[in-house]
Amino acid sequence: MTVETKNDLTWWGKFKLEIENNKEWHVGPLKLIVRRLNNEWQIAHESKDDFDSLDFSWEIKDTEEQLVSCSNNSRYILHDTTGELIVIPRLADRSIVSRPHMPFNLAANEEIVLYVSSPLWIDLEVGTTHLKSLAIQRLSDTWFGPSTLEGDFCYASTTHCRLNYEDLPKRSHKAITPVLIKNRSETTLLLERLNLPIPLLPLYKSLSGQLWTPQITLIREKDGDMAELKVDNVPPTEIGTVELVSEARDKTKDNILFRAFNTVFN
Amino acid sequence: MNDLWTDIITFLSSGNIWIFIRACILIVLGIVFAKLISTALIKLVSNKMDNHRLMLIKRGSYYLILILFLISALRELGFNLSVLLGAAGVFSVAIGFASQTSASNLISGLFLVAERPFTVGDIIRVGTTTGEVLSIDLLSVKLRTFDNLFVRIPNESLIKSEVTTLTRFPIRRLDVLVGVAYKEDLKKVRATLDDVANKNPLCLEEPKPLYIFQGFGESSLDIQYSVWAKREKFLELKNSIHEEIKNAFDENEIEIPFPHRTIYTGAETKPFPVNMGNDT
Repeated sequence: MTVETKNDLTWWGKFKLEIENNKEWHVGPLKLIVRRLNNEWQIAHESKDDFDSLDFSWEIKDTEEQLVSCSNNSRYILHDTTGELIVIPRLADRSIVSRPHMPFNLAANEEIVLYVSSPLWIDLEVGTTHLKSLAIQRLSDTWFGPSTLEGDFCYASTTHCRLNYEDLPKRSHKAITPVLIKNRSETTLLLERLNLPIPLLPLYKSLSGQLWTPQITLIREKDGDMAELKVDNVPPTEIGTVELVSEARDKTKDNILFRAFNTVFN
Repeated sequence: MNDLWTDIITFLSSGNIWIFIRACILIVLGIVFAKLISTALIKLVSNKMDNHRLMLIKRGSYYLILILFLISALRELGFNLSVLLGAAGVFSVAIGFASQTSASNLISGLFLVAERPFTVGDIIRVGTTTGEVLSIDLLSVKLRTFDNLFVRIPNESLIKSEVTTLTRFPIRRLDVLVGVAYKEDLKKVRATLDDVANKNPLCLEEPKPLYIFQGFGESSLDIQYSVWAKREKFLELKNSIHEEIKNAFDENEIEIPFPHRTIYTGAETKPFPVNMGNDT
């Protein structure tokens, strides 16, 4: 049995599986077992409820554990001779509404960079065939909009909204997004909830293996009714050399979006 | 009988047979063209419109083309259309008096189409019937109930009665009614309910769950706890959250009471005799 755990957080990539062999991943709260059979792949997974969110450890090992031990099982029939499984980290498929543990006020004409983390998803592929996409941590659904009649479905998450890059904990199952907030209004901005357009963001890997997204800039305009949302085309500067891990789910030509104030902040 | 036979022979031998055949061909062509053009129209605009509008366009174009071909066929047979339309006017008044119900349904159908309280594919509840709308026709609306029965509801009934469209808005509220014993601490009960809602991923974080103390019941403190869910996940949440609340109450030793009945026979009577099973 081989067990891989490293300091650099890189749990994804290409993995070779022989016929009738199993491989097991433990990333964050997720336990994932993949089994290869002749012309068939089986995937089982489950998430732990009692999980320490600051735990960054991960593990990949060959296992003989039965797939039925997990609560979710699925089978995929395809003719494949390579036995090569591709594991790709992705960002969530909907926007994430992050709620700071403690709401804060941003004074008029001030700006600040916050570091917001969001849980990852895993895409499993064999050759060019996509097998499954699953969330490492199942987030609660939420509704973000001015009323119960109009709005968008998002995922809900809580964040520490850390202000210093050095204070960020290393975590294998989350990506970090720097968010620059500029309050150009003459009134204080109370930040209780923040809607981040996660599907518009690509994913980059820093030298340490931590996953990052480009910086998002949110500008509260003077009139206070509109907010400008800008997604950088380049990876964040504070992490140095990076490598592109996965593209954005939704590709948009415009990286500057104007949105109603209450669809970005709340 | 002989006269009729003679008439038919005369009609066929006078060369009218070809006119008759041409009229028939026009009708058949009309049906084929109407079918083809209405189907092509649907394919052309299917991405831009909902099912209800698509159905209206399909039927409207089909009947319009068919009527044009029918008029041509009638002219081919030598009918004077102005006389025919005049007769149709008189005839329609007579028909109108004779079929008031159908006319009422027809008018109601037009109002339903204009008002659009629901469209094809929506789930509606009319009285005690709940089902998916299969079609909205001029005389009636057809539903498929969840136990797979076909229900036809006359348009007149729909206009007159209360209709609930269950699939109009993207989120729905589920009201959980629960009673707890009088001895329980309500703060602890509320915290337990909030914890259950937080842990259930189907329960929307926003709009926030609603806690309402409904009053002092006969044997319990009655509470309404309302949570929001995505419309498609409503049933799944309804099943899971009740089970989770029961488990959480058991874990936190919160009692869900039920009415107890004490039989009291009055001070003057003797107690009920109790016999043990083994003694009899």
